[in-house]
Amino acid sequence: MFEPSKRNSAVLFLSLAMLAPQGGLRAQLTSRFQAGAVMSAAPGLVPANALSLTPDVRYDSPLLKLAARGSAWINGNAWQFADGEATATVSTPTRHHLAAQLVATASRAYYDQVNQNDQIDAEARVHLVFSQKAGMWLESGVARPWRVAVVSSVDVAGAGAWTQVGGATLTGTYTNFSFTRIASASDSTGTLQSCANQTSNSRCLQQSHFSDVQGTVHWEKAAVELNAQTGYRFGDANDVTPDSRRWAAASAIVWLSRDMAMVVGGGRQPANPARGLPARNYANLGVMFAAWPSMTEGAVPIESRASAISQFDIAAAGVSLERLQVHIAGVESVELMGDFTDWQPVDMVQRGRDLWEVLLPIAPGVHQLNVRVDGGKWQPPPNTPTMRDGFNGEVGVLVIHE
Amino acid sequence: MSGHGIRRGIATLVTLAVIAPTLSAQGNDPLAKLDSASRRVVQALIDSAKTEGLPDQPLVSKAQEGVSKHAAGPLIARVVRTVFLSLREARAVLGERANRDELTAGAAALQAGIPATAIIDLRQAGHGKSITVPLVVMADLVSRGVPRDTASRAILQLWMQGAGEADLMGLSQSVGQDILSGAAPADALLSRARKVPIRLPPAKVPE
Repeated sequence: MFEPSKRNSAVLFLSLAMLAPQGGLRAQLTSRFQAGAVMSAAPGLVPANALSLTPDVRYDSPLLKLAARGSAWINGNAWQFADGEATATVSTPTRHHLAAQLVATASRAYYDQVNQNDQIDAEARVHLVFSQKAGMWLESGVARPWRVAVVSSVDVAGAGAWTQVGGATLTGTYTNFSFTRIASASDSTGTLQSCANQTSNSRCLQQSHFSDVQGTVHWEKAAVELNAQTGYRFGDANDVTPDSRRWAAASAIVWLSRDMAMVVGGGRQPANPARGLPARNYANLGVMFAAWPSMTEGAVPIESRASAISQFDIAAAGVSLERLQVHIAGVESVELMGDFTDWQPVDMVQRGRDLWEVLLPIAPGVHQLNVRVDGGKWQPPPNTPTMRDGFNGEVGVLVIHE
Repeated sequence: MSGHGIRRGIATLVTLAVIAPTLSAQGNDPLAKLDSASRRVVQALIDSAKTEGLPDQPLVSKAQEGVSKHAAGPLIARVVRTVFLSLREARAVLGERANRDELTAGAAALQAGIPATAIIDLRQAGHGKSITVPLVVMADLVSRGVPRDTASRAILQLWMQGAGEADLMGLSQSVGQDILSGAAPADALLSRARKVPIRLPPAKVPE
């Protein structure tokens, strides 16, 4: 069924998603379960005529994010544990436009009985946030694959930048990979390769490195979400096969109702030499069932950019002047009002990716206030005492001393 | 300029001079956006507060808050009346010496359902200290679901043990976080209250 010379593959993927979210004000636990059918005509890539089950669980809080996803395929009569990934991300709050992240990942990749392996990654990132609309990051990390012809850790270093233009988010990345692998001592013409260490007459250890430059566009409006990406790989012919020099892919999700969407996509995926995985072309078409855009009350969609206010601070900023700060990322506006503004909304000014601030004269005494995000409901800020406002809501209480 | 133009200009100035004070007064009137019936009720309550020597600003502020939150006029009038009655009761409980902040906090505690006897005990245990923050924290705990008696007893005990305002504000925060994490409100309070240090001089530490 799988012709070795065939490069193109077609994947028909029908997925059913069932969301069972739960969560609180500052942290969300979301889970997803997908069931689908997979068909492929590609050489030795994905199993043909397979059914897959993919549970996906995520926990999001301002400082810690955990995600675990796996899939099991039935191909014939036997169930097979296929792809899987578990990730933990620890993030610091943004201070003076800087934030740091530590990311640890354990993953398993499965194309078929031959092309499969496991890997652990550890990565550190430093984010520089110019404004709510743009930022960049630097990253450095190490990965360790198993069951591949790579005998060293894979050093990963890179940088990226992002910006928001209208409803689109544009992202550009540069990533360099460097590792040692077992290679043939000579190339296909019989010419001896450059070897770091000769292990036998026919095999040697070879230093490999290549760099990927990739651009991504994500755009969403109303019921349509579009993703597109393209990339180019730099490196010599020993490390970069011709079929992985350039790639591009796109996908679209069209929500037919709040619970059901059509999914269509396709493109080219480059090889992953560090994991011994070949390049492949793919296409998919499917149906997804999910609760969107409003999931069960108290939870947010998995990739929601708007999050709850993580912190509220107040500090004296002069005679009878107070500096009020709210920490929240991924929102367009934050307003505040209280008895000290005669309950007139005051726009807070953005001072960083997640920092909003306003200076107001507030006399000593007991005061009540509310904040709201993106024109939503008026809420008491976190970490303040609260009381009922009489209007089916709550206010926060400030005690300002002399 | 023609004579007709001059007359028109003078007429415009006179008209502006006549209506400007009215417009200005409306701009400064915090109750301008209330319907006339609700406004009369609220104004009467404000006048009563002034007559009785109660702070009227909390009433004005509550009316402004209701307007900003697009509450209906009759509801705003009812809520302002509740605040007025709570202030009156708070003054009766706390005495004439109570300052505006204590009255405001006391009114909030009473609205939350804290028993008047608990507030009197708090005042007596304070030995002249302001009880604004303990009252604020009591109201906060009740709004988070802690039973009234549990909240008032716990705060009174901590206050008698010398807990400071920072201790109580910290307690409020940590109990709130525990509740968000799934703890039962009363259990969260009792658990966190045990961790607040006793700050009385050694001779006064209860056996």
